[in-house]
Amino acid sequence: MGKKGLTRRQFTGTAAAAAGAVAASSFGAPYVAQGAEKVVKLGFLGPLTGEVAGWALPGRNACLIWADQVNAGGGIKIGDDNYMVEIVSYDNEYLADKSLIGAKKLVLEDDVKLVLMLGGTDAPAAVQFFTKQKMLSTTLLPSDLTPDTLYHLAPAEVHPLYNVTGVEWLAENRPELKTAAICAQDDELGWPSVATYLAAFEAAGIDVVYNKYFDIATTDFAPVVTAMLAENPDIVCLDTAYPDFVNLLCEQLFLQDYKGQIISCTLDFYGRIIEKTSTEFLEGLIFQFPDFDDPAMNEPHINFENPNEFFVNYNERFPDAWSAVTWEYPAIAEMWRLAAEKAGSVEPMAVFASLKEGGRGPHVFGDADWWGEELWGIDNALVGNWPVVQIQNGKATIVEYRNIIDWWNKHGELLKKHTAEQG
Amino acid sequence: MDTVVQTLVNALMQSSFVALMAVGLVLIFGVMRVINFAHGEFYMAGAYVVFWLYAQHELPFFAAVVAAMIIVGIIGLIIEQLLFKPMRENPLGGLIMSIGVLFILQVLAAVIFGVGLMKHIPPLYPGATPLFGMDGVSVPWQRLVAFGIAVVLLIGFWLFLKRTRLGWALRACAQDREAAALQGMSINKLALLAMGLGAGMAGAAGAIMAPLVRVYPYIGGPVIVTAFIVIIVGGIGSLEGAVLAAVLYTFFHTFVATYLDGTIASILGLLLMLLVLTVRPAGLLGKGEKV
Repeated sequence: MGKKGLTRRQFTGTAAAAAGAVAASSFGAPYVAQGAEKVVKLGFLGPLTGEVAGWALPGRNACLIWADQVNAGGGIKIGDDNYMVEIVSYDNEYLADKSLIGAKKLVLEDDVKLVLMLGGTDAPAAVQFFTKQKMLSTTLLPSDLTPDTLYHLAPAEVHPLYNVTGVEWLAENRPELKTAAICAQDDELGWPSVATYLAAFEAAGIDVVYNKYFDIATTDFAPVVTAMLAENPDIVCLDTAYPDFVNLLCEQLFLQDYKGQIISCTLDFYGRIIEKTSTEFLEGLIFQFPDFDDPAMNEPHINFENPNEFFVNYNERFPDAWSAVTWEYPAIAEMWRLAAEKAGSVEPMAVFASLKEGGRGPHVFGDADWWGEELWGIDNALVGNWPVVQIQNGKATIVEYRNIIDWWNKHGELLKKHTAEQG
Repeated sequence: MDTVVQTLVNALMQSSFVALMAVGLVLIFGVMRVINFAHGEFYMAGAYVVFWLYAQHELPFFAAVVAAMIIVGIIGLIIEQLLFKPMRENPLGGLIMSIGVLFILQVLAAVIFGVGLMKHIPPLYPGATPLFGMDGVSVPWQRLVAFGIAVVLLIGFWLFLKRTRLGWALRACAQDREAAALQGMSINKLALLAMGLGAGMAGAAGAIMAPLVRVYPYIGGPVIVTAFIVIIVGGIGSLEGAVLAAVLYTFFHTFVATYLDGTIASILGLLLMLLVLTVRPAGLLGKGEKV
């Protein structure tokens, strides 16, 4: 027995420990408020692991910083009470079934008062549960919104609607660009984004000469880029793609000697892309998500306290991990705090009513309207200004804020048409 | 014209690492009769070794590739000794064990390296060169390096099998284990050698591709599917068939992905496999279970 039995036990033990560690890691350890007499818990339900983690984990981490700041300032003032904030997170791995399990845990066991979500694949079942429980929840993807998602809000990001601002800016500032090639990942993130870019390019008078989806299991992007470049486009549009895909697509464009304009929804961890390509290659690339140390983030219409300081704090605590969505979750949490203090309650429905009061709200990039009836059947998205960001000397730089509703009023029918065509 | 040539270049570069994967898989099957589902995870492990040694600890890239081969080869030896060997007489034992190994290696990678954000592995040789002065066709330096390493390893492996006594023994064992045993060859030692070599080559494939692909714990999934298609088309047990099929399949897949799209390419790739099996059930170069 000896050696063989021992080996199996050791091996089984290792495997069990590994499996246990993974199981344990799927339940994110809650941030525990220090020395709190009264505590209010906010839930974070998103993909903290996996290929979509780049759009959730940095946001969860930013929420921890936000909670620290709030608690250090005495907590949330509700009437005569001060509430300390605790962030309770659950890794749903971007799976619908795990998301529903997490939703039930957060609401029924943890008694959270708000659930922050990325949205998309993981949302439908969880949001249905939240609606029944009258729980306030938020998304970054307003495609989650339907007339039935009564308490599900998109208060920070209106993906992919804001992508129109980048195309519009490009058409005005580089009118010599006449053709575009679009590649997009074949999923619920890619489809509405393609519809939006098609509408924006049509509105701008730019011909789309290539438009194809790629499988999200794609490992080699060389054929995707070769096919796009075969059409000699003036603009290559990367649509909305996972951070890894944008990275690899940019690298392939560089390797296949593309020298034209690039536009993308996101450009996460662009420093790494520059390291793989060059500063010159990425120069002029247009996307939609600013760094918060940008001077334009200090303009008076910005509703985010000390954005420059927040950016520095975040990068000190979580180096090299700033992504497109980092600021959005704490921005929503801060909006919730202000609404709760105004309502004099942390209860979900009271805060919901406070948030929606007057039909306007303090969006990060300026006060905005609760909107969406025409597109999603419910006015639960806070829509207003959005920045157009350009890579200048290797740094993300806001070149202009543009109003999404203004574009919609002029070209909304085009977006409806392309959305219908994309199914 | 440029697009056709660029696609040829893309396919040629890709075929080298697919061949490296497939040859290792064929060797393991030939000698051990194990359909090794964990072979993709050996590829993943090789990629992580390069991430850890080259990207995180600044070891020279080529040293990291050699280390990946050795480390993954040793992992293969351990797995053979602890898991596959006791199951030698059980036709399904090895298969089930390999599926278990697949999950364990994935979980270990996830626990050790995490699965949150993309692993950043800068290429040793960034940039590309025009092909023979054709401005519209570029050959990325890093892919050229990967291609060169893969070709050298494949040639070296072929010479080892054809010119050395150990290589002859491996081939003999693959052709007929009982006969080889009756000639005094140790099946267990040859199986250990086959596993070490096969895993090492998969580790090398992962190592050379690491700067060019997404490195994450589940990276082996798409790779093993391709490798299985290749060894079935080539003829299970045939090393020459695996190399030939790797080239044919990769060219087919790359051209369809470029001119139609990637999803259609994957579907047509499977149909191609079915077609080959219908016309030549033993695969392109399959003759019994020869290695």
